[in-house]
Amino acid sequence: MASPVIALTDVGIRFRRNRRSRRTFKDLFAGRKRRSRPDEFWALRSVSFSVQPGEAIGVVGRNGQGKSTLLKLVTGVVLPDEGTVLVKEGVAPLIEITGGFVDDLSVRDNVYLTAGLHGMTRKQIADRFDDIIEFAEIRDFIDTPYKHLSSGMKVRIAFAVISRLEEPIILVDEVLAVGDKAFREKCYRRIEELLAGGRTLFIVSHNERDLRRFCTRGLYLDKGALVLDGPIDDVLAKYNVEYGVEAR
Amino acid sequence: MTTYADVRPEQRTPFARYRHSLWLLTQRDLRVRYSTSLLGYFWSILDPLVMAGIYWFVFTQVFHREVGDSPYIIFLLTALLPWMWFNGAVSDSTRAFLRESKLIRSTRIPRTIWVNRLVLSKGIEFLASLPVLALFAVIYHAPLNINAVFFPLAILIQAVLTAGVGLIVAPLVVFFRDLERAVKLVLRFLFYASPIIYATTNLPPHLHFWAAFNPLSGIFSLYRSAFFPEQLDWFTVGVGAAVSVAILIIGMFVFTRTEHAVLKEI
Repeated sequence: MASPVIALTDVGIRFRRNRRSRRTFKDLFAGRKRRSRPDEFWALRSVSFSVQPGEAIGVVGRNGQGKSTLLKLVTGVVLPDEGTVLVKEGVAPLIEITGGFVDDLSVRDNVYLTAGLHGMTRKQIADRFDDIIEFAEIRDFIDTPYKHLSSGMKVRIAFAVISRLEEPIILVDEVLAVGDKAFREKCYRRIEELLAGGRTLFIVSHNERDLRRFCTRGLYLDKGALVLDGPIDDVLAKYNVEYGVEAR
Repeated sequence: MTTYADVRPEQRTPFARYRHSLWLLTQRDLRVRYSTSLLGYFWSILDPLVMAGIYWFVFTQVFHREVGDSPYIIFLLTALLPWMWFNGAVSDSTRAFLRESKLIRSTRIPRTIWVNRLVLSKGIEFLASLPVLALFAVIYHAPLNINAVFFPLAILIQAVLTAGVGLIVAPLVVFFRDLERAVKLVLRFLFYASPIIYATTNLPPHLHFWAAFNPLSGIFSLYRSAFFPEQLDWFTVGVGAAVSVAILIIGMFVFTRTEHAVLKEI
């Protein structure tokens, strides 16, 4: 067996239940281990799994069971309170994809900024620039300030940039729910292309059809724990049994 | 079709990546500031100029000045311009995480960049405002002396100090929003508590020793020595440098200890 690209060992992360609860300097600086406060809950706990290169994994679970948190942990934008998250390769996160875009800058500047922050050099971006613009279908708006784009265009350009990052791991968090039907289909084809190119995919979705289309393996999260890790069909079946949704 | 192995983002050392991201964000800051305002660059020099003009008027036209050195406008600007850098970077660092929360939630880059980019972009604005100082020096025939070689040293110490303070302030504001206003207040106090409109030597003698523990005293005395060699006091500079380094170390400690919690909070 090849060595895994992603390995989570006993990962746990907790959040405060009540945002307004008082915080003191003391508990900010107290060691992470020693601190246990009643108003905190574990969003994820004792989660362990590893992913081989090229796997396509769907994360299933009800709202608020830690799916997005899991993706954020893998992206590295939140850090675990327990355990270790090991990610060996670069990650292209399709999470809050429009987050890095600056309203006042033109589409062109934004593309260079976002791709650059994800580690691409100017030359690499320049080579892909036309591809990105063509994919997003906004050739006429290259020099328009980002804030003047329609919301659909914003998502299109963001998806186009992130999906061109050429990173070996791709994380998708329900972004595909936006955009018109034609563009959504285009995104799906792009993801399939990436998968065929040997990328590792992590996808969070409530759409069973999407999950079955891309994924071979599923992770089922419930109440912050990893309940089942197996073939996607088994995972979806269990999910449907437990939450009474008819399989389509 | 090419596989990802052929076209991956260039593998770079962490340091090169850090520099790359830092530079991109700094450029973005400057570009946003200058593309959205008509006067652009002039705003960054207008602010210190107006302030210098006010103090110059009050202290040379209204009162009879007994502090500082002549020409007073040069004396003022040599400390006011670097003060603008410190003040701007520290007050912006109160919003370093809050303003960029969307980007921080979606991009994995070393988190200290969110503070350091402010130090850098304000530092660049400071450098860009130096021609104003040169212009006044020419108008008032203020001779530049050999101590001007200490300018880079002063910039270095100030960068260390500013980054240190920013690293302390930025994460704490996320938890204690009141701190944002408190910082503004402290900065206003610090403006008068630092030798900007006066020199350290104008303080009562028993305060000289303690003034050295305000690191800005040493930093400003280094900048000033380029025009006023008698302002250079190595004891003050030495203590200031030591305090700056200590603040940076504390800043890095605070930052790493609070990083987990900050990321969850924003």
